[in-house]
Amino acid sequence: MNWPKLPFKKPLSALLLATLGAVVEAAPVVQLAIEQHRFFPEVVTVPANTKVKLLIHNRDASAEEFESFELNREKVILGNTKTVIYIGPLAVGEYPFFGEFNPSTAQGVIRAVDTSSEVAP
Amino acid sequence: MILLNSIVVVLNETIEAGILISVLLSISHQLKLAPRWWLGGVALGVSGSLLYAQQLATLSEWFDYGGQEVINSSLQLTVFALTLAIIKLMISGHKRALVPVMALAMGLAMVREGAEIVVFYLGISTQSESTSSLLTSGFVGASIGASIGALIYYFLILIPGRHAARIQLLLLALISSGMVLQASQLLIQIDWLPVAAPLWNSSALLPEHSALGQLAYAVFGYESTPSATEMLLYIGALVLSLCVILLSKRQHCALSAAYLR
Repeated sequence: MNWPKLPFKKPLSALLLATLGAVVEAAPVVQLAIEQHRFFPEVVTVPANTKVKLLIHNRDASAEEFESFELNREKVILGNTKTVIYIGPLAVGEYPFFGEFNPSTAQGVIRAVDTSSEVAP
Repeated sequence: MILLNSIVVVLNETIEAGILISVLLSISHQLKLAPRWWLGGVALGVSGSLLYAQQLATLSEWFDYGGQEVINSSLQLTVFALTLAIIKLMISGHKRALVPVMALAMGLAMVREGAEIVVFYLGISTQSESTSSLLTSGFVGASIGASIGALIYYFLILIPGRHAARIQLLLLALISSGMVLQASQLLIQIDWLPVAAPLWNSSALLPEHSALGQLAYAVFGYESTPSATEMLLYIGALVLSLCVILLSKRQHCALSAAYLR
């Protein structure tokens, strides 16, 4: 079966590839640690409008629960374990998070910043 | 501070399952079901929580660190399915079949929160506070949660029969659809479901961490910044529940008879 030649075939396939590339492209990884019931760093900067993979390492012996009402996230992280939470794409702004098990010390904020205006290196 | 916190943690965890349990118990009261069926549910919930908490380290690593989300959302979706079955059985008047389904729903609804309480206690018992004061504060939290549950239970059983059934069915539909919303949020958290920008932001109007916000979370699965994915699944679940209610009602009118007996 012969497909009729379409004038926009090439741009279309290019677009398709670009879309596929965007889907396959892994979300940037941002690391966060918990030590002595505090988050390190307490201010986490992430690119706005981008899905981000948050890799959290709980270095304490006791469990913590990562929680954020603003991000709609909630997850138990056992002592001396790692976990992954996806966040975003976020609009530019600040999104507080805390450790539900130790809220007096474990407090932090995700800062989503606009990186589109920056010149790529 | 730790003591106050353990009250808050235990309270938060008990409220969610507590509301569903009080609705189930009120249904049991009004349909005069076999007494103490709920003991089976509690036994399942407690043993399930302990087992889950004990295996949490291993399970958390499943699915590229998405094990918790996969298990918790599966639990919530199963409770949703069981709630649909409860609605159907309630309306068609199958009292005997209702008992095991309600016990199963109650037990499974307790597992996630129960395991979180166990993990929380194992964590803080390594810190300085004495065990007895920790248990006391946990007990206070659980008591407040139970009181809220009891309030809802007595409110429901004081409503005259026919209206009670309507409110119970509506609450079951709302609570279980809220669970679908929470499940979808968990799957978004591990990138299994696509995410979109929040549809709205009602956090100024009703903050999620306020007392009323927590209650709304327990009843409707309230989110102040829901995404289109979550809303779509929530509305889908609600429509499905309401369809089950309407279709079952058309098939059977035995419910009113059971309530008036």
